[in-house]
Amino acid sequence: MSTVEKPSAARFVGARVQRREDPRLLSGHGQYIDDVRLPGMLHATFVRSPLARARIVAIDLEHALAVPGVVAIWDGSALNGDAATPLWDWAGEGTPFPEVRALAEGDVRFAGDPVAIVIARDRYVAEDAAELVDVEYEPLQAVVGRELAEASTGRAHDGIDTNVAWSAASPTDPALEAAFAASAHVITETFRQQRHVNVPMEPRGLVAHWERGAEQLTVYASSQNPHQDREYFARVMGLPEHHVRVIMRDVGGGFGQKIFRTREETAVALASRRLGRPVKWIEDRQENLMAANHARDEQMTLRVGVDADGVITAIHASHLADVGAYPLMPAMMPGFMALEVLPGPYRFARYGWAGKSVFTNTSGISAYRGPWMMETVAREIMMDVVAREIGVDPAEIRRRNVIQTEDLPYTTPTGREYDRISPAQTLEAALEEIGYERFREEQARARAEGRYLGLGISTYIEPTAGAQGPTGIEAATVRVEPSGKVNVLMGTGSHGHSLETTMVQVVADQLGVPIEDVRLLQGDTAVSPYGGGTAGSRSAVIAGGVARISAIKLREKVLELAGHLLEAAAADLEIEDGTITVKGSPGSSIAFADVARIAYYDPSRLPEGMEPGLESTSRYSAPPATYANSTQVCTCEVDVATGEVRLLDYVVGEDCGVMINPMVVEGQIAGGVAQGIGGALLEHLAYDETGNPLAITFKDYLLPTTEDVPDIRYVHVETPSNTPGGHKGVGEGGAIGAPAAIVNAVADALAPLGVRVTSQPLSPDRVLAMIDDARSA
Amino acid sequence: MKAAPFDYAAPTEVDEALALLDEFAEDAKVLAGGQSLVPLLALRMSRFDQLVDVNRIEALRGIELVGETLVIGAMTRQATIERDEEVRRHAPLLAEATRYIGHFQIRNRGTIGGSIAHADPTAEYPAIALTLGAEVEVASVRGRRRIDAGELLESAYTTTLEPEELLLSVRVPVWGARSGFAVHEIARRTGDFALVGGAAAVTLDEADAVARAHVVLFGVADRAIRLSSLEAAIAGQPVDQLDLAELAREATAELRPPSDVQATGAYRRRVAAPLTERLLRTAFVRARRAGDPTEEAAR
Ligand SMILES: Cc1cc2nc3c(=O)[nH]c(=O)nc-3n(C[C@H](O)[C@H](O)[C@H](O)COP(=O)(O)OP(=O)(O)OC[C@H]3O[C@@H](n4cnc5c(N)ncnc54)[C@H](O)[C@@H]3O)c2cc1C
Repeated sequence: MSTVEKPSAARFVGARVQRREDPRLLSGHGQYIDDVRLPGMLHATFVRSPLARARIVAIDLEHALAVPGVVAIWDGSALNGDAATPLWDWAGEGTPFPEVRALAEGDVRFAGDPVAIVIARDRYVAEDAAELVDVEYEPLQAVVGRELAEASTGRAHDGIDTNVAWSAASPTDPALEAAFAASAHVITETFRQQRHVNVPMEPRGLVAHWERGAEQLTVYASSQNPHQDREYFARVMGLPEHHVRVIMRDVGGGFGQKIFRTREETAVALASRRLGRPVKWIEDRQENLMAANHARDEQMTLRVGVDADGVITAIHASHLADVGAYPLMPAMMPGFMALEVLPGPYRFARYGWAGKSVFTNTSGISAYRGPWMMETVAREIMMDVVAREIGVDPAEIRRRNVIQTEDLPYTTPTGREYDRISPAQTLEAALEEIGYERFREEQARARAEGRYLGLGISTYIEPTAGAQGPTGIEAATVRVEPSGKVNVLMGTGSHGHSLETTMVQVVADQLGVPIEDVRLLQGDTAVSPYGGGTAGSRSAVIAGGVARISAIKLREKVLELAGHLLEAAAADLEIEDGTITVKGSPGSSIAFADVARIAYYDPSRLPEGMEPGLESTSRYSAPPATYANSTQVCTCEVDVATGEVRLLDYVVGEDCGVMINPMVVEGQIAGGVAQGIGGALLEHLAYDETGNPLAITFKDYLLPTTEDVPDIRYVHVETPSNTPGGHKGVGEGGAIGAPAAIVNAVADALAPLGVRVTSQPLSPDRVLAMIDDARSA
Repeated sequence: MKAAPFDYAAPTEVDEALALLDEFAEDAKVLAGGQSLVPLLALRMSRFDQLVDVNRIEALRGIELVGETLVIGAMTRQATIERDEEVRRHAPLLAEATRYIGHFQIRNRGTIGGSIAHADPTAEYPAIALTLGAEVEVASVRGRRRIDAGELLESAYTTTLEPEELLLSVRVPVWGARSGFAVHEIARRTGDFALVGGAAAVTLDEADAVARAHVVLFGVADRAIRLSSLEAAIAGQPVDQLDLAELAREATAELRPPSDVQATGAYRRRVAAPLTERLLRTAFVRARRAGDPTEEAAR
């Protein structure tokens, strides 16, 4: 939809511009929630259920209230009524949903369920008092385990007489069955992915400040989405939207966990209104691992038909997700998204699917970087299973199935329309960079010495910038101030994805001013226009797109005014480094800053009918999705005596369209790959059979460290998208592709032993157990 | 994750610290590098009325060779030990093992006394103390005593130190010529506590038979343990004639290691055998090299 023409050569877009937020962040001057200190501020903590499922018999606050410095303690029956509506509700036809209240009331539904909020002078006192809150529980049967929930005699929720939260399937399709029947091979396998936690470096937290008099709620939020937070607090607090202000400053990561506001944050806001004082809550790490939302915890069974050459003829996929007790997205989402995206980078016509989600007495599921990525996990591991089974090389089977340029435009069996993608190119680029043939020789030599090396490939299409409802549009106000300096106001936020650099690059290019002269103001609903926040890899495409549109519009005005002042046609002018010059006559020029000053202070010098000032606001409505594509390839060595896996080399071939800043692109990929390495090898938020979480400190929930992440090499392919800047999203691909690449590398290493790898994490004990199983089989 | 209330004192003399420990007994706790104690306090898994911070007691710091014993003050930081020349020369195993402790940030704070007093069954220093046959010197207002590492380590996180006692120093005997050492561990990530770890110290005679051997595993029981039957089986035997794989398998077959979220007990037992074999192999090679004058000169 390039309705706006590109007026000038890019100087900043495409360059490795240093991150402009880094001096602030790296010198310890970031402003996170815990840096917010307001006069009279109180501190909150929560009393949490130690049990997964129990009736609350009695709550005794007497000893706790006697602790000096305690201001208030409320349980659910005391506080929940202050909310004007249920906090969120995704109930629908055949999809039950529990009533979501700020605090547990009557019963508890997962270990960590907040039962009471304690408000005190400081956090220490609050925790001293929280220990003394005496809650009497009558234990009930907990529903635990994705594969056990449906048949469990227990119920995850009171009032919902099933643990099945969603269930659906594609209509029976004789053509699909015929395709399977005609296939040379039909292979079925189930792939499992354990429960993860998003683990932002900064856990959840907020300062809520009810300002009496103004009757306004100001929330300092650790969020991905300030404008939707404003709507949320207005709704649940029963306030008009213009009496709520949400300020989101630096955010120490979200990865999906901070898209929506949660029960605890709501309780804090309600408490602030009751007390008429600012209340701060900083979630600690134990709470974050136990009670902030979790992710993944799903499995997918694939039935794949191929012809004698390994060309896919049909796929049936069925997905099962554990969404916990209070999911932060509709219960259908994990399954529906994964099943819909599954066809990915391959050409095939026949597809069927089935999906089911279950409630359990565990912390609820939320989005996590590529929340549909089970499709890539299952499909890409399956490609290797099929390849091995029919004796085709894993690179070759992908070549035979991957969508080629001449296939475009291409519509998947689920109706997704691909146009400007290059999956065959990124596949080849990654294979070449890793040195595929050379590695196969090295692998053969190592095997002869009794060493087990492996290589894994993972190819995928990443749907980015999904545009529906509040996430479909983005706005940018570009304002040249009277001095010629430029403020850009956007509804985006700062949590590590570099928008203070990339949006500024886009605007500085269009206005022709030095990059230091442009600044992004974001994350404050009182300052910036409505935006959809950060989710679904949307910022480069939609925010980058509108920053460009708005800057181009303003550029036109600047040139019109400058042309008037220089007595030249706007079309004959160029702006470079803050000076506007008549092309070909360098003597005839005017400083950008002078144009700005005149625009504001000297209306008499403006052309007839021109409005004073230099400001433009645009909104851009994005296409339904913009597709990026990528292949990750890695190599590893497995020690078959100890089960230890060591990653050796890592390559990502990626096409995210026009790169605003390759360094930022690579940073996004690297972060995602690191998270994928964590998922493949280390991370597991396990529960025991009673619903007790077993990894609630970093001693047990293992994140990859710099020592576990190899140096990653990148190959970029740039196929411009059909959006104003030609960008595609790149926020999630790293995390989407990495687990399958690593699992495939380990499986490739162990292939001589007959090992098939279908689940994660690949801890040393599980690797040895798989080798044992294969030997005894 | 905020500690329960406590009182805090930071004496500068050993005697002051001992007086406080005597006064508060079970209600007091020594604070050294804080790398184990502070998280326990913050998680409210431990609580004490009185913390006695011994970081300002100069007398507890330092490394000194006294005769054939390396005396290391309890408050000596792990990072200091890792880099110290005397330690490298006279107790190379201790230096080598230090690199397995956490990350450099932790080693900058963590102390040898704290590490041994904490008695984590998967920690390196208690195991190395056992391997080298070290003693600790401890004091209370009633006097001083020395405790052999084997007697000090009682069970998980439990030593035979009395609450009133302060660990003053660790006394590491210097192993003589033709001695070789090895330490290795399997962990989920670099810097993690070991799933299973082990250390070996051996001395060979002129005929390359085993004159002395200490072999220790950690992470396989409620404390670091010596494989005494293995040590006995190889004593006096010519190194070249040992079937190390078989000996290691036998020595580890009866272990009943604990299971946790990181690994099953069966896994720990299973990998203990190749680990033990590898430790002995490395220690023997190094012991031979240590006896080789050209090797000595080359170093
Ligand atoms: C992330 C992380 C990773 C770690 N990884 C490892 C690892 O891989 N291996 C490992 O061994 N350790 C590891 N540690 C623990 C670290 O080595 C600690 O420093 C050590 O266990 C305790 O030493 P400290 O000086 O910090 O003692 P503190 O934490 O201050 O004290 C520990 C205990 O010892 C007692 N104590 C301390 N000094 C004395 C004394 N002089 N007399 C009597 N009692 C005393 C204290 O009262 C307390 O009970 C890790 C720690 C962290 C935080």
